[in-house]
Amino acid sequence: MAASEAILEVRDIHTFIGQFHILEGVNVNLPRGSIGVLLGRNGAGKTTTLRTIMGITPPRSGEIRFEGQRLNGMRSFGVARLGIGYVPEHRAIFKGLTVRENLHIAERRSGDFARKADLIFDLFPDLKRLVHLPGGNLSGGQQQMLAIARALVPDNRLLLIDEPSEGLAPVIIEQLMHAIRRLSEQTTVLLVEQNFRMASQLADRYTIIDEGRSAVAGDMRDLVKDQALIQRYLGVA
Amino acid sequence: MRPNILVSVALLVAVVVFGYFLSPDLGSFGITLMSGLFQGMLLFLVASGLSIIFGLMDVLNFAQGAYFMVGAYVSYSVHHSPDVMAAIPDPNIRFFLSVISAVAVGAVLGGLLERFLLRPLYARPIFQIVLTFGVAIVMTEAVEFIWSTTPYSWTVLFSLRDQSFQLFGQSFGVYRLVVIGIGFALIILIGLLLQRTRIGIIIRAGVEDREMVEALGINVRMVFTLVFTIGCAVASFGGAIAAPFLGASAGLANLFLLSAIAVVVLGGMGSYAGTAMGSLLLGLALAVMQVFAGKPQIGLPVLASMTPMMLMILVLLVRPGGLFGKGR
Amino acid sequence: MLRRTLASNWFYVVLMIALIILPHAIGWVSGDSPFGVRGRPVGQSIYWQGILIEVFVLAVLAMSYNLVFGFTGVISFGHALFFGIGGYILGVVLEYTDLTGEVGLLIGIGLTLIISAVLGLVIGMVTLRLRGVYFAMFTLAVAEMFYIFFSRLALTRAEDGFALTELPVWIDPTRSRLTFYYIALALLAATFLFIRRLIFSPTGAVLLAVRENEERARTIGFDTLRFKLLAITLAGMIASLAGLVQVILNKKVGPEVLNVSNTIDPLLMTIIGGAGTFTGPVIGAAGLHLGDRLLRDLVIEVGGASIDIGANWALILGIVFILVVLVFPYGIVGTFRRWRTKQAK
Ligand SMILES: Nc1ncnc2c1ncn2[C@@H]1O[C@H](COP(=O)(O)OP(=O)(O)O)[C@@H](O)[C@H]1O
Ligand SMILES: [Mg+2]
Repeated sequence: MAASEAILEVRDIHTFIGQFHILEGVNVNLPRGSIGVLLGRNGAGKTTTLRTIMGITPPRSGEIRFEGQRLNGMRSFGVARLGIGYVPEHRAIFKGLTVRENLHIAERRSGDFARKADLIFDLFPDLKRLVHLPGGNLSGGQQQMLAIARALVPDNRLLLIDEPSEGLAPVIIEQLMHAIRRLSEQTTVLLVEQNFRMASQLADRYTIIDEGRSAVAGDMRDLVKDQALIQRYLGVA
Repeated sequence: MRPNILVSVALLVAVVVFGYFLSPDLGSFGITLMSGLFQGMLLFLVASGLSIIFGLMDVLNFAQGAYFMVGAYVSYSVHHSPDVMAAIPDPNIRFFLSVISAVAVGAVLGGLLERFLLRPLYARPIFQIVLTFGVAIVMTEAVEFIWSTTPYSWTVLFSLRDQSFQLFGQSFGVYRLVVIGIGFALIILIGLLLQRTRIGIIIRAGVEDREMVEALGINVRMVFTLVFTIGCAVASFGGAIAAPFLGASAGLANLFLLSAIAVVVLGGMGSYAGTAMGSLLLGLALAVMQVFAGKPQIGLPVLASMTPMMLMILVLLVRPGGLFGKGR
Repeated sequence: MLRRTLASNWFYVVLMIALIILPHAIGWVSGDSPFGVRGRPVGQSIYWQGILIEVFVLAVLAMSYNLVFGFTGVISFGHALFFGIGGYILGVVLEYTDLTGEVGLLIGIGLTLIISAVLGLVIGMVTLRLRGVYFAMFTLAVAEMFYIFFSRLALTRAEDGFALTELPVWIDPTRSRLTFYYIALALLAATFLFIRRLIFSPTGAVLLAVRENEERARTIGFDTLRFKLLAITLAGMIASLAGLVQVILNKKVGPEVLNVSNTIDPLLMTIIGGAGTFTGPVIGAAGLHLGDRLLRDLVIEVGGASIDIGANWALILGIVFILVVLVFPYGIVGTFRRWRTKQAK
């Protein structure tokens, strides 16, 4: 682990929403170029972890570093501008904006979209013929593709993707997995994924979050073999 | 056509037809129409800011009417100030200056309100509402402090304001036509701005999901300040161009706030198309009601001033989301 | 039991006794009888009784506002509606029907309570399902509509309003001011106790939960809409009683009782005094109204310019209000309490 440089280090973060203590010590360590996955039951705090990294729900204590730079106290637009793309759960695309507008709005410098158009339409060919449609008219899978595509418009070096497979058909999931694997050749990815099969096939590293704490972390290949661990924290066989 | 557009057009036609049957002749029908469009445009100038600001930042700016009022006062004062009169004797040119001054004052006051009073309160939305209400009080009282409580009526004549032409045996004011023209132009201009420009896309996206816009790397608060500034400037512009007819008085604040709220509820909170349509509808409805309620057989002039409130209550009962809203 | 109650509430008990004695004390000091002179309402004591009745009315109005805003977290900009409607109903019953005297008074009060409750329920049912701001807008609009309506209604003499001439003698503030003073004081005390009881009851706990996080209160399984309805209905009824006392004191009903200032006043008093506290609205009402009365004739010189405090009282209040919202959102009482807790730590 020490061999590869960590692009993201999350150390013992505590996050409150209102008066509720949601994260009570989460650690994540992600080497550059890898795919990491956050696992854990519903309500464990995976989404909150991503939102805390993004500065949407800032941590009260602990430390977050991206490429060595501290993110604590930065507002989320500043975090994003450092080169982090966020794909929230439930496919939060802008439903009233056309596909093209959804992609355009993500530009950080003008021309970003033009430069990335080939890559994006190569990964998600469906989107190409939909560019003039409002995002709300897209199917669930197409919306998810658009949400990921949107994060690819600027030059992000880290992508945070929250439950991309949620509610999608197996064929679509296959397509998404393929796309994520390909884009991980250029960026580091931190996934949240309930679909264990998908997670185990994609990810190099895992962190299990349980009741707001990171419980176990390690190499995905080890986890796949450890049925007891999976059973204990994820309740899947 | 989408059903909401159909319903709006049907309502519009109904109001106009009702107005037609109330009128004894084409000339007075024309006067009613023009008065309705004129009022509708003024309403739009207050309501558009109210609606976009609400949609984007969840702040219902109860001070929006007060900006209209300030615009009227500034425009009145600049136009009637002896110093400015000496410097710019031509009343038409001076009127341009008056309007520009009003817009500038509205913009500055609006920017200050967002930046220094509202920004600290985004975490406490309930206090934001209460604060804008307080700001409306302070602005009204400050206006009365500066200009006294006596309403002003516009006394300086100028050709732009006083020219008229004859049609169907009635005389129509050119100025009202100009205001209607400007209003339509602004409806289209702001619409284009929202549809075509990057800032417009950001605003529309922000209305849907502010947090996500920010997570894309956009400093939403700067957009807030900008939108608030423009919204208040437009309301102030409305007051400035209304002043030659309505004069300047503290009562304008409340009057236009309530009507603009009715427009926004009618059109659907946060919907730009709804606001434009709602302004037209309410403006025309007001003009028609003014004729209707003034008829000797009816003899209830109070009905006309209650129109915005009655309309709003009706909409909230029947379709709380308004014509272009999403149900609620 | 009684001793414990007295011990923990000594402040209120002392204040209450002081307010009961006050008219007599002022009478004793100034030499003017607290009962007036030969049935005519003159003298220092009578004058101060009038001012204090106004304070009590505003305090009751502010407490009712606080029940909605401070304890339930619902913003209303139409409280003047309830305040004013009470006055109009009593006035119409006494002056426009054959009912007069005690019977008219009782029926007027009963009708006031019923109609304000119905109004509160209806307004609430229409808007409380929607986002909070709809309630604020709707109440503002409805109140304004009633204001305009009664300002133009020929029956109730439009802007001039009409005088109350058929009040029973014992409550008539020009003939029996002291009795009326005690009635107003009783209303104040009753409102205070009622709201405290309510807030400390299980129902009150739900109201507070709604204020803190309505979503959560609903998830726990409370029908939050019903509790909000209850709060605004009760608040409307209390406000209408305050309005009743006000018009009896003035012996006149006019559209000014429906004016938006009767919404602004309790709002300012509640927030400046301390929203969500029991004494805050009372302190706010007393402070603002007495301040208004005492500073009415004051003119201060600032760098050559003279500022007429009385004439610009509303402007000054507005600015104070904005500062309080920004800097001391817990108001006088809330800020003091926080400061004391910090000291104690
Ligand atoms: N806005 C909120 N208010 C209160 N609790 C919240 C809020 N958002 C999330 N939570 C709580 O935080 C916990 C973690 O949520 P989340 O991070 O969404 O879990 P996950 O993504 O692992 O399913 C959950 O128990 C959830 O109920
Ligand atoms: Mg989640």
